Amino acid sequence: MMNDEQSVLIWVHEDCLHPNSPALQAHSQAPRVFVFDEFSRVSLKRIVFQYECLLEIPNIEIRRGEVVAQLVAAARDHDCQRIVTMASVTPSFAKITSVLQREYLLSLTLLASEPFLELVAGEADGLDLKRFSRFWQAIKGRALSLNQSFDW
Amino acid sequence: MLVANENRMKLRTDFTDRAELIAYLRETFPASAALSPDVSAMRGGRNAAEAMLQRINPERYAATRNHLNGAVTMLSAYLRHGVLTLAEVRRTALQRAGAKAEKLVQELAWRDYWQRVYARIGDGVWKDRESYKTGWRPVDYQSELPADIADGATGLNCMDQFATELQQTGYLHNHARMWLAAYVIHFRRVQWQVGAAWFLEHLLDGDPASNNLSWQWVGSTFAVKPYYFNRDNLEQFTDGKYCRDCQHYRQGCPFEATYDELQSRLFPREN
Repeated sequence: MMNDEQSVLIWVHEDCLHPNSPALQAHSQAPRVFVFDEFSRVSLKRIVFQYECLLEIPNIEIRRGEVVAQLVAAARDHDCQRIVTMASVTPSFAKITSVLQREYLLSLTLLASEPFLELVAGEADGLDLKRFSRFWQAIKGRALSLNQSFDW
Repeated sequence: MLVANENRMKLRTDFTDRAELIAYLRETFPASAALSPDVSAMRGGRNAAEAMLQRINPERYAATRNHLNGAVTMLSAYLRHGVLTLAEVRRTALQRAGAKAEKLVQELAWRDYWQRVYARIGDGVWKDRESYKTGWRPVDYQSELPADIADGATGLNCMDQFATELQQTGYLHNHARMWLAAYVIHFRRVQWQVGAAWFLEHLLDGDPASNNLSWQWVGSTFAVKPYYFNRDNLEQFTDGKYCRDCQHYRQGCPFEATYDELQSRLFPREN
């Protein structure tokens, strides 16, 4: 277990700043890093908000720079070969994870937060997303019923 | 040299209070501070999020959410950053209000919907999903945000205060977002992308999916018709607080009209 823990770097990104995310829970001793993208155009108040979220994550390492370069440097500093992070639909996320794997040969594990709704297998791909009203009709009954789900 | 450079890339995490954190970030992110020097009163973090979640009132939300003083949840920035999950807010709402939580759950479903669309189209959230239903072509819309809008200097009390609030606090009530977006796109004929980028710079909950697709909904490139409003509507949901002191209350208010009049004024080619 120790060996496994030593090899994992958790990448915390802006789509999941939860201090007890599945990634942080799964590797409670692993180093964890967040990178402020130097090319991102956001105002100060948003950085302050994100920073306050980050400061509630124990032992977080906060970096600034080009995201891939900083993650690679952090992995090297902590002698990690595997990056664990929370899945995200943000297009830049897919680009970053792809470069980490292909060019830097880091292995990658994506974990997911509890979904809004548990859909049946294959249902998500077939959902009609042309208009919200159609989506809502498809899920409304389930969305309004309390069902069991996992706790963080 | 290399070591020093590396160290500059690692940021501090030891702050004694919020003021010290803010001063440090203002110095560390000068370009962001230049966009707008203000900081929101809304605190980041799970502790703040849980406190807000405890305060939600799904029944009052359903009855009052369109009003600027309504019982909105203020959870959007926490949801956007995954500090709260849609699942736990849904669960809390249903436990608290049962079937009366429907409206709040439906609004949570909007965010889930936008994320699902984002997963399918990615950077396509920046492109017109459909054509405009306004009679105007994409090239008819301005490609820069008029300075008077960003400066809060249009002379229209409502829009100027919304723009100021956006930039100072990083938050706007959803109805104010819709009015401001409709003003930018339809009354000033500015491309929705321009307004969307402006919002993303400032909103604490700024998310390309929810934000851009909502702008497209107002603009009509992701809806069957454009969204616009008149003064009666704005006055009703604000208790007239912006209109009362507005220099254009008696004359020159562009929103003082019936919907039919606005339709022919804003979208003349559609008639």
